[in-house]
Parts: sequence; C-alpha cells; structure tokens
Amino acid sequence: MRIRHLLLAIVALAVAPISASRAQQTEIVIYHYQTDKRHEALKQVFRRFEAENADVKIVDIFKPDQTITSDVQAALAARRPVDIATIAGRNVYFMSRTTAAVPINQDAGKAAFLDNYLPQFLDVGRRGDQVFAMPYAFGTPMLYYNKDVFRKAGLDPEAPPKTWDEVISAAKTIQDKTGVAGVAHLAAGNKDYGTMLMVTNAGGTYLNAEGDKLMFDSAEGIAGLQLWQDLVIKHKVLPIANDAQWTAAFLGGRLAMYVTSSAGLRQVVQQSQGKFELGVANYPLFPGRSARKVPNSGATFMLYAPAGPRRDASLKFLAFMSRLEIANYWSRESGYMPLMKDPLRDADMKKYVDEFAYVRPVLAQMPDTVSTYVWAEKGALEAQSIVSKLIDDLWAGKGPASELVPVAVRQGNAALAKTN
Amino acid sequence: MAELALARQLRRSDLARGGVSLWIRSGRPYLYLAPFIIVLGAFTFWPLLQTLLLSFQAWNLNPDVPSRFVGFDNYRGVVSSSLFGAALANTALYLLAAIPLKVILPIPVAIFIWSLGQRGEAYRVIVFLPTLISFVAASVAWVWLLSPLGGYLALWLETFGIRMAGLLTNADTALWTILGIATWKGFGFNVLLYLAGLTRIDRSLIEAMRIDGATDARIVRDLIVPMLGPSIVLVLITTVIFTMQQVFTPIDVLTKGGPANSTTNLFYMTYQYTFVGFNVGFGAAATVILCALVFLVAFVKFRIADRLVHYTD
Repeated sequence: MRIRHLLLAIVALAVAPISASRAQQTEIVIYHYQTDKRHEALKQVFRRFEAENADVKIVDIFKPDQTITSDVQAALAARRPVDIATIAGRNVYFMSRTTAAVPINQDAGKAAFLDNYLPQFLDVGRRGDQVFAMPYAFGTPMLYYNKDVFRKAGLDPEAPPKTWDEVISAAKTIQDKTGVAGVAHLAAGNKDYGTMLMVTNAGGTYLNAEGDKLMFDSAEGIAGLQLWQDLVIKHKVLPIANDAQWTAAFLGGRLAMYVTSSAGLRQVVQQSQGKFELGVANYPLFPGRSARKVPNSGATFMLYAPAGPRRDASLKFLAFMSRLEIANYWSRESGYMPLMKDPLRDADMKKYVDEFAYVRPVLAQMPDTVSTYVWAEKGALEAQSIVSKLIDDLWAGKGPASELVPVAVRQGNAALAKTN
Repeated sequence: MAELALARQLRRSDLARGGVSLWIRSGRPYLYLAPFIIVLGAFTFWPLLQTLLLSFQAWNLNPDVPSRFVGFDNYRGVVSSSLFGAALANTALYLLAAIPLKVILPIPVAIFIWSLGQRGEAYRVIVFLPTLISFVAASVAWVWLLSPLGGYLALWLETFGIRMAGLLTNADTALWTILGIATWKGFGFNVLLYLAGLTRIDRSLIEAMRIDGATDARIVRDLIVPMLGPSIVLVLITTVIFTMQQVFTPIDVLTKGGPANSTTNLFYMTYQYTFVGFNVGFGAAATVILCALVFLVAFVKFRIADRLVHYTD
C-alpha cells in the first residue's frame, strides 16, 4: 500500500508541472493556407513567438487557399475555435460585415503596431476608423521573362519591355523567330483580379468604394480591356489558357513572358534554375501613361478571438508579426512583399536585397501599388460571373470592348442592385 | 377482400385481448426497420426539410446573425439570374447528350464482350479501368493532357504540324470536352451493368433463332435488346442521376463553370451560391428547384419504363 501511494505521488509530481504549464498556457488557433517552404517559414515565426511568449501556444490549421474562406466560415458556424484567420484581401469587406470579426484597433492602445504598415496595404482591411485585417501575404504583378528566349530572338535580355507596346513588339518577334508563345497575363480569382489590374493600370476604376457598383465602363476601363482582347485577337501573342497552364508553360520554356504575382518569385527563381535564365521586370505601362497603378493582391489576418486571454494572446501575435525584423524575415523566406514602412532599415533585409537581385524591381514597384478593390456582401458571385464571361467573350472575339463592356457593367450592376 | 377485413378484425380483437407481449410481437417489424428509418430521416428527410425552410430565408452561414424570412425572393433571385439560364440549359444538354453516349453506346460494346465469352475478360478490364480512377485525379490529368501549351496531346499533334486549340478554354468545345471525359470515366460501369443483364439471357434462345435462320442483327433487335429492358432502365436512371452529379467534379477542376458559363450546371451553380457566395438562401432555393427537376425526370422515366420494359421473372 505504501509503495502504491509512493508511486502515485511520483507520477503526480511528474505530471504536475506539465499540467500546470498547460493550465497557464493560452492556446490560439490560426488558420492559414501556406504550404511547403512557406509553411516552414510560418512555423518558424510561430516558434519564435512561442519562445518569447511561453504562456501562449499556437495551433496552426492549414486549409487550401481556394477554400479557406468557406472553411473559416464553416468553423465559425460550427463554433470551433478560430482566433486568427487568413482571409484574401478581396473577401475582407464581406467577412467583416457577415462574421463576428473583431476590429484589430478596437483597443487603440494595443494596436499601435498597425502604424508600421504601408497605408496602401493596411487600407485593404480598413472600414472607416476600424481596421479589420492586417496584411501579411501580399504580392504585386511583375513581368517575368525568359532571357534565353530573348537572346535567341535577337532581343536584349537586359532591356526588358517597359510598356505594353514594347511587350507586344517583343512577343511578335519572339513568336516569329523562335516559335515560343509570346506573353500571358494572369487572370486569377476567376478573372476578377486580372480584369481589375488591366482596368486600374489603364487609369480606370473597377468598383466603387462600397463594392456594390462596377465602374469600368469608362473610356479608360474600356481601353484597358481592349488591350487585353488585342493581345489575343489582333496581335495573337497571348495563347488562351488558365493560370496554372501559363505557369507551367513559362517554367517549361514554352512561354517567353508571363505577368504574374511577385508572391511566386522565389518558387519561379528556384524552378527556373538549370532550365533558363530568368528576368524580372516591372509591370508594363499602359500606352500613353507615364505611371503604373497596380492593385495589390494577397491575404490578411483577421481577428476572431473572444475577449479575454485568447484575444490578448492573438493581439500579441499580430504585434509580433508586425515587428520589422519578423515581418522582413517572413517576406524573405516566403517571397511575399515587405509590407513595412522603410523595410531596408533592417540590416538583414538590406543584405537580402543586395544579394537577391530579383527582388529589386518588386521593391521599386511598391510605390505604384494601390489598395485592391473589395466586393460588397451580396451579389458578388453573379457579378463576378458576368465579368468572367465578359473576358471570355472578349477573348472569343464576340465584339470590341466598347460594345461588350457597357453591357456587362450594366448586367453586373443589376445583379448587385438586386441583392444589396 | 372479405377475408382481409375479417383478418384485420381478428387482429384488432387479438391485440385488445393479448396484452403487452402481443403489442411487442406486432411492433417487432417496426423495431427492425427503426435504424434504417432513423438514419434515413436524419440524413435525408431532415436535411431536405431544412433546405426547404432555408429556401425562404436570407442567411449567410453566420450563427450570430439570425436568418430573415423573405418569402419567395430567393426563388425569384435564382430564376432571374444570368447564371440560372446558362446552368439550366447546360444541365439539359448534359442529360440529352449523355443518353446516346452512356446509355446506348455501351450496349453493342457489352454484347461484343459477352459474345466472346471468357476471351472477353481482357476487354472487360480495359473498359472498366477508368471507373476505378478517382474523378479528381482523372480531371487533373486531363487538364495537362489537353493543355494547348505543352500538353501531351498538343505536343503529339505538333509532330504532324497541327496546332491544338484550347478545348477547355473555348466556349464551343468546353462542354463537349467535359462530356467526353465524363463518358470515358463512366462508360465501363454501364457496360458492366449491361453484361450483368446479358448473363440472364438463355443462350438456347439465341441458338433457336439461329436455327430458324435469324441474322445477328435480328437476334440483337428482337431478342437481346428487349430482354435487356430492365438493365436499360436501370442504366438510364443511374446515368441521369450520375450525369447531373458527377460532372460537378470535372467542372470544378477543369473550367469552374466557364468559359462564359458554357460548362456550368445546376449543381455547380448551387455550390457556388452556397459556398462561394455564402448566399445560403439562394443555394437552398436552387437545391429545391433542382430536386423538383430530378423528381420530374425520374417520374417521366419510370412512366416510360412501365410501358416499354418486359420483365421475364
């Protein structure tokens, strides 16, 4: 009996510290869609945070990027713990209106870290005075090009095209002399982002501030989309496919130029090694314009933790993530843009930029980025479907943009008005 | 009838006299049925009822936001949307095209394999193999096979100097391409169903017809096809249901309903309303409309089957 009591006491003493530490630890659940090396980098950030905050444990839950918004919705509906969720920038407005998202700056004293962010990124999550989302995974569209194909076509690989006219000229030369397809432009988000990009860079406005009215039937918007049609129909330099096929074609050396997000920069650099020499240039200027204007695209962290220890711990994590050295570490390891004001204050970041030349055009383009457009709560699905159909009709040559765009905008606005 | 009434009367008086044990004995069949009824009720009828109720509500899946009764607004919204017209037309097209491809075409293939006897085993395996592959995996493979930019088919055609068009990015060809993939995937299953029906045909009847001088075509037309009637009805019904459901996977993987809404169907539209647009009311209304259409199609088919099918047993 005494031995039994002694054994029980030993076991209790062994378990007690663990139980005590678990009892003192606050668990926060973070939903994200990072994979492979980015997931490893994010886990490193989590471990560094936990090392500094022994009373907090992070549970990271992966969901695919295409379904994470609906997965978070489902988790919230099922009352499963969600403290911080990764939400795409274009869904922030919707989620802030339809879920119990907590404004990160609800307590201004605990949200001073938000001032570290560049305003064009923080504005994605801003609604009036409230900030519902903190940016953390953003890219900007860049022109990736195959220097070997440029050389083969007799073009200077160190002088990439700066305007869309130069892109078209280079693409035609490449196709004539090498047989390699000329150029592709990302569509993304069922062609929503691609359309937004073409319109905005041409000087047009895609959506109004409330996200419930399409506005790209202006002269500039029509011109932007006419350019996209011309790439396919008139100049025949853009082969119709989808983003995944264009990416594979570019990495396989079957596409000379590809406009896509800088978020994939590190992967593209890695996958092109040994195959061809990669070049990275800024997003082409619209004909007749001297400045580019590119909506940023990416994901944010939204706060859902209930008031109490979990919210305090979640806010601590968000503050940690926005520290210059941590945000820059995340940017370097993930390939996403650095989102902090004056990121080169950090010596490690400066060294990285000096050594990794591909990222320099990305940093140079940051002043040209504007906040992405966000859709209203209702009617977006039908309106986005109408926009997608518009692009398909333009690529099929069913009419010029001056005819098709106003009709699509009218139909899209009718769909938005019906439900908002 | 009189005996039945007497039996019922006797049973009632037995129950009145017999006490608890008699009640238990008479209720036993229902006890055996109870698990099935409970599961069916919980996973089929209850969700159907909930969906019907939700179709009259405006809700976005947020448990903290109460739903709001909106009457028939959701139905009006769905029917008047540009998506609905395209989805309905495509659903009808999928169904009409599936009948010759998946119901009629497998018949001669099954007859051929059956006629070979044991030598037909290899053909049976080859035809059935695509059915075993996951539809998602098969769809992903087809994306890359059909890619106009370096896909295997494009590369092969290039050797003959032919430049392959984007079958999945052209509104005129995308739906037929998906149909072709769905047919390739489900063809073997229907052949197997017909083979099962063919094994029930007495070969001596075929021999008798041959002795009488009947040609192969006559035997197929006047003996085999009529006796395959029950199998044809089964294949028809399963094809209609599976065609509407299974094309969801290739649509989601290959085209997301595009280009220009040329491949979307009612199932995909319902999914988009509920899980992409989070408009649960619209999604529920679309589901109710879809259910009504499926019931109508099934009713029509059963009526036709009753008149045309000959059952030998």
